[in-house]
Amino acid sequence: MFDLIGNTIDLVANQDNGSLLMVFGIGILFGVVIQWSRVDTFEKIGGFSMLKDFTLIKLVLMATGISAIGLYFMVDNELASYSAKPVVIGGLVIGGLLFGTGMALFGKCPGTGSISLAEGRVDVVVGIAGGLAGGIFYTLFFTDLKPIVGENLGKLQIVDLFEDGTLFILLFGAMLIGISFLIPNRELHYDKE
Amino acid sequence: MNIPRKISWWQGGILMAGVILFTFSIFGADRPLGCSTAIPYISSELFGLEDYEYIDTIKESGAWELVMLSGTIVGGLFVSLFITKSFGFKAVPSLWREKKGPSVAKRFLWSFIGGFLIVLGARMAGGCTSGHMLSGIPQTAVSGLVFGGFTMLALCTLGYFFYRKGDK
Repeated sequence: MFDLIGNTIDLVANQDNGSLLMVFGIGILFGVVIQWSRVDTFEKIGGFSMLKDFTLIKLVLMATGISAIGLYFMVDNELASYSAKPVVIGGLVIGGLLFGTGMALFGKCPGTGSISLAEGRVDVVVGIAGGLAGGIFYTLFFTDLKPIVGENLGKLQIVDLFEDGTLFILLFGAMLIGISFLIPNRELHYDKE
Repeated sequence: MNIPRKISWWQGGILMAGVILFTFSIFGADRPLGCSTAIPYISSELFGLEDYEYIDTIKESGAWELVMLSGTIVGGLFVSLFITKSFGFKAVPSLWREKKGPSVAKRFLWSFIGGFLIVLGARMAGGCTSGHMLSGIPQTAVSGLVFGGFTMLALCTLGYFFYRKGDK
């Protein structure tokens, strides 16, 4: 356990991705926004899977729409850089299907899980145990799962298809924000959740 | 000043965009947000799997995400105690109880299975909601869009069949 803490601090301190305090601070902000908008609850995530609560999807579309436009101009001005994840067809399709299935059953994802844990939700402890088991399973069978995940087809980004992506990114961001407003304002209300 | 107990989806979306952009920026972490790599990283450190090929590739991200997740716990705890006032020990969520009954064992069993599938799926895909969707979609990353689409498909299909019975 102490090894884990010590190694983790060393690993973060030796990276160029923000000081330890900065990374922790980013976590605090992330936790505050998710907790305050209540999207860490089973009612919001499981409720979305039943199509009874659209808070989560509306929030995600709004956030990604704004970020798409903001990030493009930040990258343009060298204030940030793109770091897209590679396309691996099998991994994305099968992984996405497993992930969505798990999310509907558990009603959390990795980030919202830890935030929900902070709120005192005991079922999340069991879910995290399941997650750790999943982590061990993947690590042990990594070489066997590789062929299913498939080959790395590169870090493809749609915006790269355009010589000047400005117009495209404005339309893309506006489309996401537009859809976030078009999705009906459906929400479940629970006093104690 | 009166702090609202809950913010709306668009307020949350705007604030979330701020967190995403700050994390990406050179003033923040100069990298995308991510959560799920932390889980196999913890597993490997706790159960001595450091020598496996996979762990070598994820150590740095795993450590970064673990520190970030520790921060979310502090932020989440603070808000749940003082703002949303939702803090409390609870094993069965209200909506689950309506659909699946009050059994704690049943909720625990499905939570375990769900947690297992989430981490397995996220690791196969190389990311989760935060990495692929919140950070991937703004980059117009094909990986994030494909993952997001298939996640939504499975989420809503399973939700429809698994929770259908409890509908009144």
